[in-house]
Amino acid sequence: MHQQNAAEPVQTELQTPPALRMRKRTPRQGLASLAGWVVTLVVFASVPFWLSVDNTLLIEGMIVAAVFALATNFLVHHAGLTTFGQAVFYGIGAYTIGLFSVHTHVSFWVAVVLGPFFAALAALVIGALSLRARAFYFALLTLGFSQLFYNLSMVFYGFTRGDTGIYGIPLPGFLRSPLWSYEFIFIVGAAGGLALWWIVRTPFGLAIMAIRDNRRRAQSLGMNSYVQLLAAFVISGFFCGLAGVLFIVYQQHAYPEMLNWQSSGAPILMSVLGGMSTFAGPVVGAVIYTLLENFVGGITTYWELIIGVVVLALILIYPGGIVRGVVQLARKLGSFGNGGRGQ
Amino acid sequence: MISVMAGLATAAILFIVTVGLSLIFGTMRVINLAHGTFYMLGAYLVTVTFGAVSSRALGFTVMLLVSAAIVAVVGLLIEVLVLRRLYGSDHLLQLLATWAILMILDQVAIMVWGPQNFTAALPRAFNGSVQMNGQQFPQYDLFLIGVALAIALALWLILQRTRFGRLVRAAVQDVELIRVLGVNVNRLYTQVFVVGTFLAALGGALMGPATSVGPGIDMNIIVEAFIVSVIGGLGNIWGAAIGAIIIGLFQSIGNLYVPELASLAPYIVMILILVIRPHGLLGKVEG
Repeated sequence: MHQQNAAEPVQTELQTPPALRMRKRTPRQGLASLAGWVVTLVVFASVPFWLSVDNTLLIEGMIVAAVFALATNFLVHHAGLTTFGQAVFYGIGAYTIGLFSVHTHVSFWVAVVLGPFFAALAALVIGALSLRARAFYFALLTLGFSQLFYNLSMVFYGFTRGDTGIYGIPLPGFLRSPLWSYEFIFIVGAAGGLALWWIVRTPFGLAIMAIRDNRRRAQSLGMNSYVQLLAAFVISGFFCGLAGVLFIVYQQHAYPEMLNWQSSGAPILMSVLGGMSTFAGPVVGAVIYTLLENFVGGITTYWELIIGVVVLALILIYPGGIVRGVVQLARKLGSFGNGGRGQ
Repeated sequence: MISVMAGLATAAILFIVTVGLSLIFGTMRVINLAHGTFYMLGAYLVTVTFGAVSSRALGFTVMLLVSAAIVAVVGLLIEVLVLRRLYGSDHLLQLLATWAILMILDQVAIMVWGPQNFTAALPRAFNGSVQMNGQQFPQYDLFLIGVALAIALALWLILQRTRFGRLVRAAVQDVELIRVLGVNVNRLYTQVFVVGTFLAALGGALMGPATSVGPGIDMNIIVEAFIVSVIGGLGNIWGAAIGAIIIGLFQSIGNLYVPELASLAPYIVMILILVIRPHGLLGKVEG
């Protein structure tokens, strides 16, 4: 199957220019798609009413992971920047609430609002420094920042509580009820996902994809690639911070391992699991990853072994990710119906 | 002075591990996240499995080589079964594949050796210390530095004088060209990966008796090896040496003066150097 040589970079799904993939939809298809989204939203919004508290919590974890994965995928897939440092912003979102609750009397809601903005600010600084480097150097520089913040949170014990992290962060009023904390995570998470979906479709979103596909051509069209990519970095940082804020509503615990390179890699892993080139991909990947972590983790302590095997198998069999694999499978099955001609 | 020597001993290990990583990256353009795991396996094999066999210098040296060779076979299998199928696909997929391998081998190590840490005594032959200018240097540190120098020299000779070395140097420059010239690039990649794995495992095997070996040591070394390799310039052997010395010295001297912040030193050094030279000290500009 993948017997190609390094000679010709094979066009995998990851590399297909998005312009080729966006097909015009008939009004009926558009309506069906809209109906699908509405049904999905209603199903998810009503989760606490028909699932146990434990399973509702499981879905909360999936939503947090999905926002983190979407925000990371925006940078990795749409802007074409392989980063191993998004956990910094995820962690800053969570630590903002934790540190405010420990060191100040400022309202929880102020910290909720500030979290993503602090993450975006950190992204502005880290992005401005990291984007001077390219390709692998960029990836490893962001990894270095991730490890720097991880070690900082361990070293300044008095401020960050070191390796235990800040746990038992008190939630205000209505967020203490399982129903409302779920609805909060769901509504804010869905809004964040929608915002990212919209950003990809704005002229700015198209511009960063153009830079990804051919930086020199984009520059010759008058784009300032450094500024555009920095903006993408800040946006991704903002939404990673949002995921960190949601994590506090979900778990009330900010800890150093949220910041290290494995945490930075997890959302990339989720995106590739589900498929980077579709919007639903990172979400599906986050769901699968969380399920594996929970159910396999419940059966055996070796759950990382299972994740490793699943990831490896998927990379070798369906490099485009599960969502695309399913779509291809469906097309193949569908094409039997019309004499094998359809694609 | 003692801390400079300790720093150089750390640098020796870092160099041995990083030069393997750099060789693999320079030739194959794969960032191998599992490199630290090969280091860990080498350390386990020497400390837990073979360490007891001999405390004589010769016996110990043989055990080092046997351990590294066993891990190199694991590397061979991984290259042939997994990585070979991913050349030419997205770099991200290669990165995640090596990460998956890391996760799998990590868990296998815990299954085999359990979650506890092991400490083995240094082989008796290296347990003493040496007098120099009225100061005591641990013999094992000198041994590490000697091994690193020997490996550097051997690699230099191999790269300059042998056909394999010429092919590797050519592949670093332009792999397409040597493919067109009829070289079996897949076989070259396999050889490079096996050599890189061997060096990672040898680094771990050397470090095993000098430290405590347990789960997680691979995560520490892989991050340090990345830092060393990007400081020096990816794919550059002399860059790996310079990077290793910089980080080794910063760590040991930092430990002496500001122990609480020493853990931050490698990251700060890396960020400073990359901000000034975004492609490392000796690296080429990436396309």
